Amino acid sequence: MIFTIFKKELKDTLRDKRTMMMMLVIPILIFPIILNVFVGVSASFTEEAIGKEVKIAYIGPENSYLIEKLESLPDEYGKKKIIQYIDTLKMQEDVRIDSIQIGVYVPSDFTKYMDAKSPAPVNIYYNATDLGMEDRAKAYMNVIEGIAQQERYLDMELIVSELTPITTKYNNVASDKEMIGKLAGGILPYIFIAFGFLGCMYPAIDLFTGEKERGTIETLLTTPVARWQILFGKMGVVVLSGLLAASAALLGLFISIEVLDIVQDAELLAVIHGILNIKFVLLLFGLLFPLTVFFAGVMIPVAVYAKSFKEAQSIITPLNIVMVLPAMVGFFPGVELNVITACIPVVNVVLATKELIAGTLDLYLLGLSFAVMFALAIIAVLISYKRFDKEGNVVM
Amino acid sequence: MIEISDLRKEFMLSRRQRKELNTTDTKAVAVDGISISCKPGRVFSLLGPNGAGKTTTLRMLSTVFKPTSGTITIAGVDAVAEPAEARKKIGFLTGSTGLYARLTPNEVIKYFADLYSVPRDEFEERKEKLYTLLDMHDFQGKRIAKLSTGMKQKVSICRTMIHDPEVVIFDEPTSGLDVITAENIIQLIRNCREEGKTVIFSSHIMSEVDLLCDDMAIIHKGKMLFNGTMMDFRNNMKAENLTAEFIRIVNASKELNV
Repeated sequence: MIFTIFKKELKDTLRDKRTMMMMLVIPILIFPIILNVFVGVSASFTEEAIGKEVKIAYIGPENSYLIEKLESLPDEYGKKKIIQYIDTLKMQEDVRIDSIQIGVYVPSDFTKYMDAKSPAPVNIYYNATDLGMEDRAKAYMNVIEGIAQQERYLDMELIVSELTPITTKYNNVASDKEMIGKLAGGILPYIFIAFGFLGCMYPAIDLFTGEKERGTIETLLTTPVARWQILFGKMGVVVLSGLLAASAALLGLFISIEVLDIVQDAELLAVIHGILNIKFVLLLFGLLFPLTVFFAGVMIPVAVYAKSFKEAQSIITPLNIVMVLPAMVGFFPGVELNVITACIPVVNVVLATKELIAGTLDLYLLGLSFAVMFALAIIAVLISYKRFDKEGNVVM
Repeated sequence: MIEISDLRKEFMLSRRQRKELNTTDTKAVAVDGISISCKPGRVFSLLGPNGAGKTTTLRMLSTVFKPTSGTITIAGVDAVAEPAEARKKIGFLTGSTGLYARLTPNEVIKYFADLYSVPRDEFEERKEKLYTLLDMHDFQGKRIAKLSTGMKQKVSICRTMIHDPEVVIFDEPTSGLDVITAENIIQLIRNCREEGKTVIFSSHIMSEVDLLCDDMAIIHKGKMLFNGTMMDFRNNMKAENLTAEFIRIVNASKELNV
């Protein structure tokens, strides 16, 4: 009987355009859109930053060492146009309003410092809201400082290697996969969880509140099918919808990478291929299943209690924030899966998925996370059953 | 056969409900000691003004609500102790019954036949009989959302009768329907009587009751004011017509309560 109800509810759900949009269309499109925008925007930022001609205001002695070196820098360090200024305040104001991007102030006694082989002062002005300008100024100055240092070493007849007593090489033992998993791995489970929730939401409201609103639930309750069977049949569709939405998001990610070729970087692609394998997908769904049952178990009592679609939606939508917000913890690079975080629902799924992506998952912690989610799912199902069994809540 | 004895239903009132009803009582009595007997091949009418307790009574008969006290026997089955068994014998239709708009009549009928575990051969036979009787062949594959009210009503009737129930419960079945569509229901009730089924229906329209019923009960504020045959009611009338007599009985009970 549960399967009869499940089959009918699934058919009904799959014919609902609103649910289909939320369950399949949007999750499939989300990754191609996000990746396209991300790759496109970051590429255009980089190109723009390199190609942009920076106007540099210069105040200081004519033909100073610094201006000579600055003028002679090739365009690989970024195109530039140097404009002479005489008023420091005007220069600062122009940097603030972005009519020039970098201001250079060299004091009149600059050459004296240089000749005396003392540190020669230079003031650089930039606007931090004009992204990339601080880096550009630092790049110019690093080159000039480097040249000046080399020249002083030569003048003083010093051997560079003698001035470098220790050479330290820092070696990163983390693989690229681990780096991506630990640093950026949080966003992937977050999107799966968010869509798992949204995928459950519309079917839960439609199959419980909607049935009440349309006046079909009373007829269903007069059939010989037990209430728990009706609940399980409907709940099965709600859970499946959540999992389908998460699967659609995963499919969207696959399409972005394999069909649309949005990610061009060969190294990054190799890492992603290493992550997206059958074992990863199976373990991910192993974690998402109890989580989706938990979501369904939380939504169903609300949907049963609500008297209209609108009322149910107005309660469940804020619930979305409460449920999905903890998933954002996964965005923070320092937060890791341990005995404590494995006991925090939703957070444990995000962190376990992060570890899964990084390939550093501890099976004990995975089991603990799964057990916590499974226990919560059972509690949520029991609450749903209790609520669905209340006669006043299932009929208007 | 339906046997109801000393049926009572109380609802606990939430704080919000108490405020809305302007009362300090923690519970409300919807049905208070009703006893009736509906026989096979006869139509029993439950008559009462709005809020009398008709729907609550019929919901207890259909086992959607559990009685606070009293007994209900449906076709020999104790409906309180064995609700699932009792539901197998019941066909239930209300005026506000909705249908699954995204499904077709064929899908809805098959779904309910499956829920009642109707064997395939029996299902095909009954479906064909009902489709012919209700002239449903033309729209059997269309989505219900696209059907007219009359067509939807026919689907509801077919859904109610697909498992050939011994007892049929109608809760204000013609409410909100035009006379032509309501005629389908009236014809269905007549057919049920002819087939020897036990029929109970609630209404607040005296003319409808007069047209169909053999036995009737008048209830008001959960209490029974009259229980007998239509013939008894007619013979003992003190007012000039049936509607006036119904109003007189209800008003007399109000005065008694005051």
